[in-house]
Amino acid sequence: MAATRRLQKELNDIRQSGLKSFRDIQVDESNILTWQGLIVPDNPPYNKGAFRIEINFPAEYPFKPPKISFKTKIYHPNIDEKGQVCLPIISAENWKPATKTDQVIQALVALVNDPEPEHPLRAELAEEFLKDRKKFTKNAEEFTKKHSEKRPTD
Amino acid sequence: MNSKSETDEASRGSEASSSKNPAPNSSEEEPTTSLCSGAVTSRTEDIMKRAAARQLIERYFYQLLDGCGNPNCDNQYCASSGEARNLSPNEAAAEAIKLFYKEARLCDTLPNKVPRTEASGCDSSAGTTCNTSKDKDDNKDKEAQPSSNARESTSKEEEPQTSHNVSHQEESKSRSHNNGAPLTEERMYELCEECLQNKVREPLIRALGEAFTQPAILARCFASKAAANSDEDVKMKDDKESKAMCLSSDPDKDVDSVAGPELDVASCRRAFQYLAKVPSEYYSSALVTSLKTLADNMCIDLRITKKMSIEDVVNCFVIAFEVPDLGCSDYLEIALPALCQAAEHLPLKGKARLARIWAQHCKDSLRHILETLQQLITLRVISTNYTRQFQLQDDEVVTMATKFMKIVYYANMLAGSMESNTLREEPIVIASQQDPFENVLDLYPPSSMKASKQLQPDDPLAIELDINVLDARKPYLPFEEFYNEPLSDTIEMDIDFGNYKTEINKGKKFAFLRYPFILTVATKSLGLYYENRIRMYSERRVSLLHAVVGAAPPMPFLRLKVRRTHIIDDALVGLEMVAMERALDLKKQLVVEFEGEQGVDEGGVSKEFFQLIVEEIFNPDYGMFTHRPDSQTVWFNMTSFETEAQFTLIGIVLGLAIYNNVILAVNFPMVVYRKLMGKKGSFEDLADWNPILYNGLKDMLDYTGEDLEEVYYQTFRIWYTDVFGNAVFHDLKEDGDNIFVTQENKREFVEMYADFLLNESVETQFKAFRRGFLMVTDESPLAALFRPEEVEMLVCGSKNLDFSELEKSTEYDGGYTAESQTIKDFWSVVHSLSLDDKRKLLEFTTGSDRVPVGGLSHLKLVIARNGPDCDRLPTAHTCFNVLLLPEYETKDKLQDRLMKAISYSKGFGLL
Repeated sequence: MAATRRLQKELNDIRQSGLKSFRDIQVDESNILTWQGLIVPDNPPYNKGAFRIEINFPAEYPFKPPKISFKTKIYHPNIDEKGQVCLPIISAENWKPATKTDQVIQALVALVNDPEPEHPLRAELAEEFLKDRKKFTKNAEEFTKKHSEKRPTD
Repeated sequence: MNSKSETDEASRGSEASSSKNPAPNSSEEEPTTSLCSGAVTSRTEDIMKRAAARQLIERYFYQLLDGCGNPNCDNQYCASSGEARNLSPNEAAAEAIKLFYKEARLCDTLPNKVPRTEASGCDSSAGTTCNTSKDKDDNKDKEAQPSSNARESTSKEEEPQTSHNVSHQEESKSRSHNNGAPLTEERMYELCEECLQNKVREPLIRALGEAFTQPAILARCFASKAAANSDEDVKMKDDKESKAMCLSSDPDKDVDSVAGPELDVASCRRAFQYLAKVPSEYYSSALVTSLKTLADNMCIDLRITKKMSIEDVVNCFVIAFEVPDLGCSDYLEIALPALCQAAEHLPLKGKARLARIWAQHCKDSLRHILETLQQLITLRVISTNYTRQFQLQDDEVVTMATKFMKIVYYANMLAGSMESNTLREEPIVIASQQDPFENVLDLYPPSSMKASKQLQPDDPLAIELDINVLDARKPYLPFEEFYNEPLSDTIEMDIDFGNYKTEINKGKKFAFLRYPFILTVATKSLGLYYENRIRMYSERRVSLLHAVVGAAPPMPFLRLKVRRTHIIDDALVGLEMVAMERALDLKKQLVVEFEGEQGVDEGGVSKEFFQLIVEEIFNPDYGMFTHRPDSQTVWFNMTSFETEAQFTLIGIVLGLAIYNNVILAVNFPMVVYRKLMGKKGSFEDLADWNPILYNGLKDMLDYTGEDLEEVYYQTFRIWYTDVFGNAVFHDLKEDGDNIFVTQENKREFVEMYADFLLNESVETQFKAFRRGFLMVTDESPLAALFRPEEVEMLVCGSKNLDFSELEKSTEYDGGYTAESQTIKDFWSVVHSLSLDDKRKLLEFTTGSDRVPVGGLSHLKLVIARNGPDCDRLPTAHTCFNVLLLPEYETKDKLQDRLMKAISYSKGFGLL
């Protein structure tokens, strides 16, 4: 099936640019509206693993924002157990059609690296993050070891 | 009213009159008057008392609105004390009446108003020099300087006026007044300064009087130089065009003829700003008298002599309505009605011109004009006792103000944003040969209503202005500000409806229904109710007639028998039969019967029928409509497998609901109602259809970069999701995938996008739906009386659920009063219910969980005592909104029984 020109172009651009923190992009050719890829964070406690995400674009993209969810479990104040993430840049109120997907991904990577406990989805993790950073880091590292995917070697 | 309060009132009245205008009736309450013969005395006394009462009410009114002017005032009913809350004029008028009856405190005097602005520093030289200087132009330059801040750069250009030059010589001879020369901004400034400095009011009053009494002079006041004026026009026009949303050519094509070359509104407004610095008591009564004379003179000219050009007369109106708030009751009572009366004699073109000038140049004044008109009407309506002999429709002050308000109404639409009038749904002709449903119609001889089937002719002024309320996307002032609630509450709708109907033939009687903007939805819906009932009875009569003749079986009602388990199938089959065989029967009163139940349909059963059927049809599983989570609305399923006939039937159901006065729990986006009324969906409709998409597209429209093409990389191929979740594309243009959206064609793109989503993609479904709707409502004045937003209110009711409002309006029966313990318990239980349970309670007692038009207070709930304490549950007559409540002994028991009742409320049974 043919796809929207914009999305096809963005996909090609992202693949060519070779982002370090977002790899292994898989798109089913029959449905370009769903992308999968690996988020590869740099900061501890997440720098020991990689996290698979799915980006769902609405048919009306870019006039409606995409949605992002984590397929890999992650111990993070801003990402809930179902893998839903609240990213301001793609919320319905803030969405600008001129925003490119690579900007969205960069915002996501930044959020993973530096959690924002002020706007948590999991209040108990945010509290732990603020009150007992050591314990949080330890828990997160263990969790990452147990659940995350392997980091690409190259 | 008892005799004591009458005397009170009389004495209070005289107190009021003596303080205001002592001459005429100061001796009124003295006992000597009893010497006069009885009848005459009581009559004059009556009149005097009324007048006195009115004056007193006015004093309260202005005290509430403007205050007494005493900075140390401690009267809680006075605006000067700072304790009275800010009231709108309408509220203040109502409050004033209350205060009058309460005999609340009035501030001792109503002293001269404190001038709003202190005379500013510019009074140094201008006033004095102008009397001595001989060289006029020189002098004018000097004066122009101090005020130049206010006037900005225009003052220099305006300086040598043509009209001024004519009067130049006369003026230099005697400068104390104008000698027939028109007023100018500069002259007004001089006069005001002079007045402020010397505390002499005569020159100002004389000049005002001269200018404002003679239309011929006033028309040439505040004239502007042609060049400066046209510059401004171009600017205005640009402004307007950039705001206009339509792509097509400018809707008001004769802009040039509108921009009166003579009058400079801005200059006029500045002149009145100077005037406002002068304490209003210096000139207000003189100005009111002048305005009254002006109005009378214009009246004579318009009716008889016809010497003046329309343009000149219209200029007079524009200037007259720029006069700032004079803060005196005489303006409302004398000058304004006279002006309204004069305006009535304006020819159609004049009215149109006035509306256009207001829309273009006087937007800022529209609110003030509307408010004063509303004040006049409100004051008049609540201080007059209307009887069968003297009805509201006979009160010329009110009717003329209403007629005049229509001009403001149209000006308000023109001043807001209008859309192109080309976006129309195709007209659907019902009852014609092409109609597949109605080939049997010929067997029916035309009924009596058919004979009078002339639709309401469009308003001539609207035609002249070439506007339609459907195209008013965003009026300058919200339409709600045109509602006059006191008027809507006072009006006797049966009389008004009678007038409305006879007017078609004779055009003699005034009907407010011809001015629907002033009536609230609740009041108008009463008018529609009469219309529909009359039609129902007429159809019923005709069918009885047929029965007598033996032509057709007697079918006085539209009877539907349905099984509760197969409600949709039974209803659709039943209605389809009717629609195909006897479409006229749709206009009979609907009577629904559930098989195996004893409920007799006095309205309640059909209410439940509608409720249930709507629940099912709009269920997404049913497949005809899709639920749209973004906006909480339902929309036509564009890939529906249902036949057109089924959408027609839904349309019939919606029409029947309006026709039978039933509220439905449907949640269509507003665009559906606009489309039903005949206006196609356009880009702006996406705002509530799909807010996220709308914002995204709007964002693109607002994007100004030249790189739009690369950034958006959007072509004229758009994608959408079908019911099965698949992405499907559609080319807005041929080979759309190769046409990129650019700065130049982005507007076209969003219009085409919206057109596809809102019109094209659901065209078959919607057309069938609308046809069904019109089959029921085609002859009703629905479209003439209601705007699309108001139709939504008719269908869905208003959206808030205010139970304290309900408590206030509830009546009691069978031994209960508001003070009964059970009733008190009942309300305390009800107020503590969750919103969901409140809805259930509503549904239980009225058969619908929606709020009727006008709010819960219009529900007319009756709570009746149903025997002493016992174990029975509460019951309800939904058709009459009666709740039968046994006198339960304890609150707990009441709560328990009530909750049981509302939780198992479906079904009709006689307990």
